[in-house]
Amino acid sequence: MNWLRRTTRVMALAAGLGTGAAMAQDAPIKFGLLQDFTAVYTFVSGEYNQGQQDYLALVNAEGGIDGHKFEAIVRDTGNQPQRGIEAYNRAREEGAILFDFLSTPVSRALVDQAMKDKVVLITALHGRGDASDGTVFPYVFPMMATYWSQATVLIKYLEDNGGLEGKKIALVHIDSPFGKEPLPVLEDLAGQKGFELKAFPYPSPGNEQSATWSEVRRYKPDAVLIWGAGGGQSVSVREGIRNGIDPENILSVVWLAGTDAKNVGADVMTGVKRFEAVSSGTDPAIIQRILEKVVEPGNGAGDKANVGSSYYNIGVATMAVAVEAARLALESEGAPLDGTKLKAGFEQIKDFDAEGLMPEITITPEDHQGGGAGRVSRWNGEAWEPVSDWGAAYQDIVRKEIEDGAKAYEGGN
Amino acid sequence: MFYRLSGVYHTRYQAARALWPIAADRWQVILLLALALAAPLFLSPLYLGSYLLPWMIWSAAALSLTLLMGLAGQLHFGFAAVMAIGAYSAIHMTRAGLPFELALLGGGVSAALIGTAFGFAALRVKGLYLVMATLAMQYLVDWVIINVPAISGGAQATLRTPAVSFFGLPIAGLEARYYLALGWAVLLTVFFLNVRRTSFGRALIAIRDKDFAAAVIGVDPFRYKLLAFLTASFMGGVTGALLAFCYYRAVTPEQFSFNVSIQLVAMVLVGGLGTAIGSFLGAGFVLLLPIVLTNLVAALGSAGILDVSQNLMAHLPLIIYGAMIIGFLLFEPLGLAKIYDNIRKYFLVWPFRHSRS
Amino acid sequence: MWYFLELLANGALVGLMYSLAALGFVLIYKSAGVPNLAQGTLVMAGAYAVWFFISLGLPLWIAVLIGCVVLFVFGLLVERLLLRHMVGQPVIMVVMLTLGLEILLRGLVPGVLGAAPKPLSIGVGLSPVIIGDVFLNRAYLWGGVLALVLIGLSLAFFRTRLGTKMRAVSDDHVASWAVGLSVERAIGLSWGIAGIAAVGAGTLWGSVQGVDWTLSGLLFPAIAVVILGGLDSIPGVLVGGLLVGILGSVIPGYLDSMVGGSTREVVTSLIILLTILVRPYGIFGREDIERI
Repeated sequence: MNWLRRTTRVMALAAGLGTGAAMAQDAPIKFGLLQDFTAVYTFVSGEYNQGQQDYLALVNAEGGIDGHKFEAIVRDTGNQPQRGIEAYNRAREEGAILFDFLSTPVSRALVDQAMKDKVVLITALHGRGDASDGTVFPYVFPMMATYWSQATVLIKYLEDNGGLEGKKIALVHIDSPFGKEPLPVLEDLAGQKGFELKAFPYPSPGNEQSATWSEVRRYKPDAVLIWGAGGGQSVSVREGIRNGIDPENILSVVWLAGTDAKNVGADVMTGVKRFEAVSSGTDPAIIQRILEKVVEPGNGAGDKANVGSSYYNIGVATMAVAVEAARLALESEGAPLDGTKLKAGFEQIKDFDAEGLMPEITITPEDHQGGGAGRVSRWNGEAWEPVSDWGAAYQDIVRKEIEDGAKAYEGGN
Repeated sequence: MFYRLSGVYHTRYQAARALWPIAADRWQVILLLALALAAPLFLSPLYLGSYLLPWMIWSAAALSLTLLMGLAGQLHFGFAAVMAIGAYSAIHMTRAGLPFELALLGGGVSAALIGTAFGFAALRVKGLYLVMATLAMQYLVDWVIINVPAISGGAQATLRTPAVSFFGLPIAGLEARYYLALGWAVLLTVFFLNVRRTSFGRALIAIRDKDFAAAVIGVDPFRYKLLAFLTASFMGGVTGALLAFCYYRAVTPEQFSFNVSIQLVAMVLVGGLGTAIGSFLGAGFVLLLPIVLTNLVAALGSAGILDVSQNLMAHLPLIIYGAMIIGFLLFEPLGLAKIYDNIRKYFLVWPFRHSRS
Repeated sequence: MWYFLELLANGALVGLMYSLAALGFVLIYKSAGVPNLAQGTLVMAGAYAVWFFISLGLPLWIAVLIGCVVLFVFGLLVERLLLRHMVGQPVIMVVMLTLGLEILLRGLVPGVLGAAPKPLSIGVGLSPVIIGDVFLNRAYLWGGVLALVLIGLSLAFFRTRLGTKMRAVSDDHVASWAVGLSVERAIGLSWGIAGIAAVGAGTLWGSVQGVDWTLSGLLFPAIAVVILGGLDSIPGVLVGGLLVGILGSVIPGYLDSMVGGSTREVVTSLIILLTILVRPYGIFGREDIERI
C-alpha cells in the first residue's frame, strides 16, 4: 500500500513536470524524437538527433511555417520496446503527431499502434522496408532509400563501373534480420545480370570477424558489400583491407561515416565507398544556414564539430522532409495539424531536395519511400566525395520486395 | 500500530496456517486487489497501458523465475528464452486455428518441455556454472528463432498476434488485455504463496538449502530439480505468451533477448529472492524506474534546472538507476522485500523497537 | 590446409585476447569468491581512460600507465566503498551489486566522455604477417603476446610473498583472518589488479573495434572462457581462451557457408554446455568438496 502510493506519487510528479513545461507555449507542432541514446544505436543517434533538433531550431529561428513553431520531444528509449511504448504514449498525450524512433525493435513494436492512432511514423533508414507500400502502411514513411534500394544503387554503380557479367560479389553481413535484408534483392539481380553472389555472415555484434574474412579472401571477390552498423563496420573495413581486398572494391551500406574512418585510420580507408542518402559536409545551403543562425548564436543542440557529419546531415534531412510535409499540410488542409493532415502533407511532397542536401524525393500515396534514390560516395582520405549522381536503380525489383513484404504483413507477419 | 497482533488467536490449525493471519495484511491485500481491479476507472490509458499492464506481466514473469531461483535455488540466466518459446508456440498455435485458451496452455507446455532441458544441466552443475549453462541455452534458442524463418516470421522477423478471445471475451481493448494480465498475475501470486506450504514447496526449499542434505532426508534432487524447472518454465511460457498477446501484440526476437533475461534476474534479486511481494517490487523497480527517471530528468532539463549536454542527459537516468541498485543493496542486501518486511515488523511491535531483524 | 591453419592461428590469437578480458574476472573470483559482472565495463572504462589521456596529448605508453593507475585506484575504491559492506551477505546479492556497478559505469563513462565511437590507435599497421598463405592479424598478434605476458606475470605474482598471501585468502577467508592476514586488503588488491588487466584488454580491443560502450559486451566471451577453464584457475583462463577462440574460429569457418548463418555463438554455447556437463568445474577448476 505504502509503496503503491509512493510510486504513483513519483509517477504523477514526473508526469506533472513533463506536461507543465509543455503547456506554457502557444501549441507548437510537436514531433516525438524518441530514440536510443544509450544502447545499440549510440553510434548514430547522438549526431542524428542533434541534426534534427538544430534544423527545427533553424525553422523556428526563421519564424516557423506561417508562424507555426515546431517542438521536439526528445527521450531515450534504450532500444527497449517497453520503454518506447511508454515514451510514445506519453508523447502522444502531449500532442505529438510525428514520431521517429530510429530503432528497429521499437518502431516494429509501434507500427500497428501508430497506424491505429493515425499519427505519422517516419522510419528513415531503419524499420520495415516494406512500409514503403503506402496502401498497406498509410501512416508509415520510410522516405529515404530502403536497404533494398541501397543494394540496387550499389549494384548499379558496380555495373556502370566495370560491368557485372561473370563477376564475383561477396556480401559480408551481420547475422541478423537487418544483415540478411538485402539478400533477396541481390539474388534477383545476380540472376538477371549474371554475377555470382555469396553471403558471409559474421556473428553479432561484429567486433571479431577474422574467421569470416579468411573465407572471403579465399573466395577472391571482385567486390565486397559490407552490411553492418556501428563498431562492426570499422572492423569489417579493417579486416577486408588486411585480407588484401582493395579498399576501392569495398562498398558499404549507409552506415559508414567519418568516425569509422578515423577508427580504421583515415588514410588507410581511402577508396572505400558507401551508399549515401544525404550528402555530407557543411557545404549544403541548409547546413550553412544552421551554422549561421543556430550554431553561431550558441543555440546548437550539441558539439559544433558534429555539424556536417554524415549522420547529422541525415537527421537534418529527415526533419527537412517532415517540415516540408507540415508546410504542404498547412497549405492544403489548414491548421491545426493532426496526424491525418500531416500524412496528406507527406503524400504531396514532390521533387523536394532540401536545397540540394538530398536527392529529389516524391512521395505518393502508394510510394512512401520517395523514389529510393541515393548515390555512391568515396572516402578520399578526408571526406566523402560523391562518385555517382543521385539516382535510383532497379526499383521494379525493390517494389516487388516491398509488395511481398506488405502482403506478408497483411497476412500477419 | 496497524498491525495489531492482539486479538489474533489461533484456535484451529487452519487459522494458524492462514496466508495472512493479521487483519492489517488482509486489508492491504484486499485494498490492493480492489485498486487493481478498479484501475481502468481511475488511470489514464497511458498509465494503464504503459505502466500497470506491463508491470503485471513482468511481475508474473518474476514470480515464475523466483520460484526457480528463490525457492529451489537454481540460478537461471536464460529465462527470456523460455518466455520466447511460450510466446512463439502460442502465436503459431493460434495462427494454426487453435483456440486462444488452448494455445496459452500449449505455449506453457512447450516452454515447460524445452525449459526442462535447461534443468538437466542443473543436475550436474550449480552456481555460476549453472548460470553459464542457462546462458548458453539462451543463445541456442535465440539462434534458432533468428535463423529459422518459419518460426520468426520471415524477412522482417515479426509475427503479429491474431485477434483472439478468451472464453468469449475478445482480447482487443486495453481493459480486456489488462484484466487478462492481472488475472494471470493474481493466479500466479496465489499459486506462489501456496506452493511454499505444500510438500513440493518444502522439498524445493530443502534442495535450495543443501541438495545433498535434502537427498539424505529422502528428497530426490533429480526429481525435484526437474519439477522446479518444469513448473517455472510452464509459468514463464504462459507469461511469455501473455506478454505477446496482451502487451506487444507482435513478437520479434529482440523482445526476448539476452538483456531481458538479465532484467528478469535483476527483478528477482532487487525485489528480494523467493518472495511474492519482492517479485512485484522488483519488476516495478527494474521496469518502471528507468522510465520514470527518463521522464524526470527530461522534465528537470526542460525546466532549466539541469544544464548538461544532451549526451549526459540521456545517460543520466542510467547512472541514477545503477546507483540506486547499488544504494538499495548496500542499505538492505536482501532486497526491496526485506525493506518492506522491516517496516512491517517495526509497526508490528510499535511503539517498541525490538524484534527488528 | 592453409585455410585451416589460418583459422587456427587467428582463432588462437583472438582467444588469447579474450583471455586478457577474462583475467580480471578470475583474479577477483579467486580472492573474493565473487563473479564480477562489471568486468566488461571495467574493460570499457579502461579503454575510455586510455583514449581520454591520449586525447589530452599524452603519448600512448604514458596514457596506458595513467589508465592503469586510475583503474587500480578505482578497483581499490570499489572494494572499500561497496564490497566491504556486503561481507557475509549471499553471494548472489553481491553479484547483483556488481550488475548495478555495471549499469552505473555504462551510463557514467559514455555519458561524461561521449557515447559516439572513438578511435584508439596503438600504432599497429593493418598489413598482416604473412606465412605461406596464412594471414595473421598483427593487432591480434600483439594482443596474444600481451595476454601471454600478463597471464605469465599473474602466475608469477602468485608465487611472490604477497601472492602467497592472496592465495591463502582465496583458500579460506576465516582461516586467513585467524593467522593475521588482511583479507580486505587482498580482495582490494585483486580488484586493483583486475582494473589493470582491464586497461590492457580495453586498449587492445579498443584499437580493434573503437572505443564505445559495446566493449562491455566482452563480458560474455570472457565468462565463457572462464567457465571453460575453471573459475579460479589462471592457467585455465589461458586454455579456456585458446579453446573458445580456436573452436569458435575453425568450426564456423567450415560450417557457416553450409548453414547460411553465423554459427559461432551456437558452437561456443554447445562447447560450454558439453564441457560443464562432462567436467562441472571447468577444465582446471578446483572441485569444491561440500559438507552436509
